[in-house]
Amino acid sequence: MADEDEELSHLRGPEPADIDLSDETQDFLFLDKLSSDANGALSLPKRGTKDFESHETQLQLDTLEASRQAMHGVLSWTRVHTEKNRILAMYHPESNMAYVDKVKTQHFLTMGRAKGGKEWLLPEEVLFLLERGSLDCRWPPKPSEEEKDSDYKFTMEDGAPMSLQGAYAAFIGFEAGVGGKLTLEMYNVYAGLKRSGYNVYRTGSWDDDRAALQLPATGSKKGGNAKPGYWTRFFAEIWRRISSVGVNTQVPTENLRFGPLVKPGLYRSYADIYRLLQIIPTQDRGAPPTFMLESDPSNPFRVHFDVYKTGGSFKKSNRGPPDFRIAVINARESSVPTAAQLNDLLVTTPHDPPKATDNLYKKLKHGQRNVVLAVVDNGVPSYIRVAEAAFSEEKLYERTGRAPRGKGGGRGRGRGRGRGR
Amino acid sequence: MATTSGTVTEPFPISRVLNRFLLFDVDAISHARRAHNICGVLIGTIPNLSQQNVFLGVPLELMPEEARVLVEEGHAYIVDDVDVHQRGFTEMSREVRLQFVREMDEQGMQKAVENRNRLEENSRQALKKKGLNIKDKIAGKSSSPDPRAVSGGSVEGNPAKEGKEEEHGVGEDGEALFDQPRATVVPPPAKKLDKHYITPATSYPPLSAPSPPSPAFSPPSDLNLPTVPRSYPLFRYMHSHGYFSMPGLRFGCHYSIYPGDPLRFHSHFLATGMGWDEEFELLDIVGGGRLGTGVKKAYLIGGEDISLKGTSGEILGEADEKDAETVRPFCIEWAGF
Repeated sequence: MADEDEELSHLRGPEPADIDLSDETQDFLFLDKLSSDANGALSLPKRGTKDFESHETQLQLDTLEASRQAMHGVLSWTRVHTEKNRILAMYHPESNMAYVDKVKTQHFLTMGRAKGGKEWLLPEEVLFLLERGSLDCRWPPKPSEEEKDSDYKFTMEDGAPMSLQGAYAAFIGFEAGVGGKLTLEMYNVYAGLKRSGYNVYRTGSWDDDRAALQLPATGSKKGGNAKPGYWTRFFAEIWRRISSVGVNTQVPTENLRFGPLVKPGLYRSYADIYRLLQIIPTQDRGAPPTFMLESDPSNPFRVHFDVYKTGGSFKKSNRGPPDFRIAVINARESSVPTAAQLNDLLVTTPHDPPKATDNLYKKLKHGQRNVVLAVVDNGVPSYIRVAEAAFSEEKLYERTGRAPRGKGGGRGRGRGRGRGR
Repeated sequence: MATTSGTVTEPFPISRVLNRFLLFDVDAISHARRAHNICGVLIGTIPNLSQQNVFLGVPLELMPEEARVLVEEGHAYIVDDVDVHQRGFTEMSREVRLQFVREMDEQGMQKAVENRNRLEENSRQALKKKGLNIKDKIAGKSSSPDPRAVSGGSVEGNPAKEGKEEEHGVGEDGEALFDQPRATVVPPPAKKLDKHYITPATSYPPLSAPSPPSPAFSPPSDLNLPTVPRSYPLFRYMHSHGYFSMPGLRFGCHYSIYPGDPLRFHSHFLATGMGWDEEFELLDIVGGGRLGTGVKKAYLIGGEDISLKGTSGEILGEADEKDAETVRPFCIEWAGF
């Protein structure tokens, strides 16, 4: 029998909810029609106005010209600061950062750190603020000979305004010169997430080659296994003791080689037998995580950003554990991580077990530790979530109750529903 | 807004920042799109539209392939922005700096006036629509400073004009441009012009773009050409046939290729560049073919037969005519029997 999705007639378009508008070049003519719905998802009116190919008509040429004009117009918008709302910053070449004297806007609720009476902004923060037209950054003026001698004090306004081009040259280009690690890819990801409304911070200080190991909190409860009901457990436990006096649930090595795996005896539960049949060793999740590779500055896989959803009473000084951890990867320079690299990346994320009440597949997908890879191909980011699926923790024979079926309901037809997930 | 892509003189500069290739000049961006089928990826935040990712703005990031095609064909040249800015701004002399600050100030003032004019025009329109007594309003306004009179420049008590002249006066003395408090201003009129400041998009001026290397003098050598991945021959081939390309990561390929400007057309091909003798998994074809067909595109693979290129290896500039013979592309679609 042919698979359902093997037939072309079944190749459907994506669900409307899954469409990511930024996937495709959007027509700038529709800029003013961009709206967000109740969920905050951006949407454009249904257009279907793109063409399959050129048919050399004046209409088509005119439409294209109009789109290009609209694009040109939008791209030419100048970054203007009014006297009232201007935030003036001064570039600091030694650290490739910038500082602000007067903290004015709400941006500083989530950005910047105070030091020495000034508010300091990291390169990505300055660049982002400048790019969105919220910051007027100045190059530090170079004092002339006379000015050096006199005790003339420069104000920020004496500095030449930093252009957008200058800001990229400085905060991305000069970065390596001061030992910084910000790359354009990281900035792409940072700015993209900021535009989407997340609060984004560097993970750690970036001074080391990789983030610190995340050891499990002491006294943490063991994994999210769904425990059978109390009475079931009670009897199972009694039977286990009665029937396997002196028999460990671990099969002795001798038995592994020559058998039998299951000795003749009294077994009151299939689970006991299954447990004896489990002969392939799996990773011991109780053991503390360790790195597999030496610390190496050329290893591109490290967690770069802590990402927080907005809302609630968020404080930049007391952020709490992040909602997501993001590692930025340049698609053109690195390939798929090796198992060792992936291990080393995942052990720097905290143990984040799934909810005990979730169903089996959700638990497996959620994994024990997870990280989001932001793969950037020439300015286009794609986000991939990598989780360590703990199959050994989710034993089918210990499952209680039935996993909920799809809405198809019927026993026979339920098969294959989950395919392709 | 009027099209100004005519103002771009070739070759135009491409900024290189840590081996990424960026365009900051809107005219150059439009020009590359119109004249050379190069669309790149807009990566910047648009001011005032900074809470969405659907429409992005300056700068435009060019793929190294795109930058290379432009340079090889002599339309553009690479400028090391880091170097230029390091020298240009950290060593900027006092005179140049003051001059630049003054210019930016004037531009800001201009913007402020424009802005106010627009606002007043808007309110005028709104009033008109509501049918309110315009005459009274206008009569009331005529005594207050009229923004349009700024250009005429003879209205007494115009705050914009006064402020501007004062700036000029101080500026031309040369000394301490901003230090003197503006205490001499007469009591602020009813509506003081809010001073505006501008963050320019490009650094020219105050810097002048380094002049392009004279082509007669130095033919593009590999040294100042962008390094490109192995898929470059396929990119160049498709580009020479008038196609537009965008990065293909979202579709798991090297380029998604458009028959025309992506603003108007859907993409036709998901292209992956291969080496001529490169072995690849049959599953790649299945995967690419199915994905491509699923999104109504064709999967395209292509490579360059180096043996046909002659012994001289890559002869830049002459590659275009030869591409027709050296690069062979193949289209793969799920036949769906």
